Amino acid sequence: MIWLTCRQHRGQLLVMSGLLAALGVVFLVSWLEATAFVASHAGLGAGDLDAALAERYQAVYTLFGWLPIVAPALVGVFWGAPLLGREFERGTHQLVWTQGVSPRRWLAVKLSVLGGAVALGGLAMSAMVSAWRPLFRTDTFGNIGIFNMLGVEPVAWWVFAFMLGTAAGAVLRRTLPAMAVVVGVLAVMTFTLFSLSDHYATPARVVTTEAGVEQDARLVSRAWTDPAGAEIAVPPSGVCPRDPGLGRGERAQLAYERCLIEKGYRYVFYVHGPERFWRFQLIDAAILLAGAGALGWLTVRRVPRSG
Amino acid sequence: MIEVTGLRVRGRLRDCSLHVPAGRVAALVGPNGAGKTTLLHTVVGLITPDRGTVRATGDIAFVAQDKPLYDSFTVAETLTLGRRLNRRWDQRLATARLAELGIPLDRRVGRLSGGQQAQVALTLALARRPDQLVLDEPLANLDPLARHEVMRSLMSAVAETGMGVMISSHVVSDLVDTCDWLVVLNAGRVQVSGDIEDLLAGHRMMTGPPELTLTATVVGGSRTEREQSWLVRGAPVADPRWRTRAVGLDDLVMAYLRSPEAAALPRLTGVQA
Repeated sequence: MIWLTCRQHRGQLLVMSGLLAALGVVFLVSWLEATAFVASHAGLGAGDLDAALAERYQAVYTLFGWLPIVAPALVGVFWGAPLLGREFERGTHQLVWTQGVSPRRWLAVKLSVLGGAVALGGLAMSAMVSAWRPLFRTDTFGNIGIFNMLGVEPVAWWVFAFMLGTAAGAVLRRTLPAMAVVVGVLAVMTFTLFSLSDHYATPARVVTTEAGVEQDARLVSRAWTDPAGAEIAVPPSGVCPRDPGLGRGERAQLAYERCLIEKGYRYVFYVHGPERFWRFQLIDAAILLAGAGALGWLTVRRVPRSG
Repeated sequence: MIEVTGLRVRGRLRDCSLHVPAGRVAALVGPNGAGKTTLLHTVVGLITPDRGTVRATGDIAFVAQDKPLYDSFTVAETLTLGRRLNRRWDQRLATARLAELGIPLDRRVGRLSGGQQAQVALTLALARRPDQLVLDEPLANLDPLARHEVMRSLMSAVAETGMGVMISSHVVSDLVDTCDWLVVLNAGRVQVSGDIEDLLAGHRMMTGPPELTLTATVVGGSRTEREQSWLVRGAPVADPRWRTRAVGLDDLVMAYLRSPEAAALPRLTGVQA
């Protein structure tokens, strides 16, 4: 059975290894280049250096930005959807499920071998991103895109996408519609988890005179306190004048808020700080893996017990 | 031996019961859409029935309709699949059979002709040395020469091993010479199940003038102004005005298919689940 799995999916295994290796080379080359660049521009200030790096590595950043969305989609579309969809389309399930190995066992081996390979791939990407990232970006938590490429997130997303594609192929019995379902559901799931993650913990309440939150934190909501210390949504109008000469732009807003601070009002931010990195990682992973489990159950029910 | 009792698959099979003794070469015939494929899929476990049971002795090998194989595999890899996925496997039988048929082992399955693919699929099933071989429309989509070749090589393999076979077809004439058991399936019901010789001996065609009344179990037939002609089951009618003649398998199957309410299920009248 393992022989059959490897023989049937060797193309996918090769392509995934190849793409991961190519990604590794891009990361390695840009890392080496950037190290040299940083060394030769030691005189620049931190902010200027970041800006210079961002400009220089625009292409790599773009690639990097798409990865957390594109990689799971590729896994779901090319590994998951054809797994059963193609067998049904070609009628080969009638061949392979009537051999001595029972269909459920066939499925168990396929899911473990391919799911294992997918998990390893996710782990490899997470490791490469972890090694490459610190030179370019210091944030790990505040940026959801980077957060989704670190730790156990890629593994959970890839395994979820794989099981999603497999279940879609099992239910629809066709590859192409199953691929479409993968893309649609992944898009919804990405958005859902992002919205849901605000509720993974009670946000910390920060009362401050500074207009921004600490770096690498996630802002959940904002409010104000009045001079007596009571929380209000918006300071009452008329406390501070709005300077019509500055218009309604960012500068006008800043001047207005500075005036409020001087009158004793304070910003209130509800935030999740970067110390919650692992808590959020594990909750995301638990949700995705539970979803993968449910999809696996759905798939098993579509496969007969004995051939 | 294959025994099916009270089988129901929603929308496709209704209370199917039949019994094919061991070592028989059974023909499963019926019009397109009668449920032949569903019945066979239930027998080999690809479909779980809503109700009823399937019992079969020993290993069953199955060749599905259109002979599905992995196109990207070579013939040798297809044999490896069979060897790795089955406890019983006769590699020598497989390679000898393919050599005899002139099918190269290193050729990709997708590049073989339809007849050759059918032979590879059949070889895959025979090399498992099954006790029971189930074939779904094995001759469909084959040219006449390939049909003959496939049937001939199948029958020589059956003669060597004595395994039981069940073959479905919507063309009765494909199976006349090779089968000794007949199952007629019509609109999801088993209409006939029995030994072909017994069935032919137990039915006759009666022709007579239109004014006569017939006291016999009539399966089907027709009446014109000049004469009436009926296919009947049971003993011949003594009245000498009736002309009696033996029936062929084609007549028998056609008569039953045209009268869906008629049934000839000698051995299974009491086994409804």
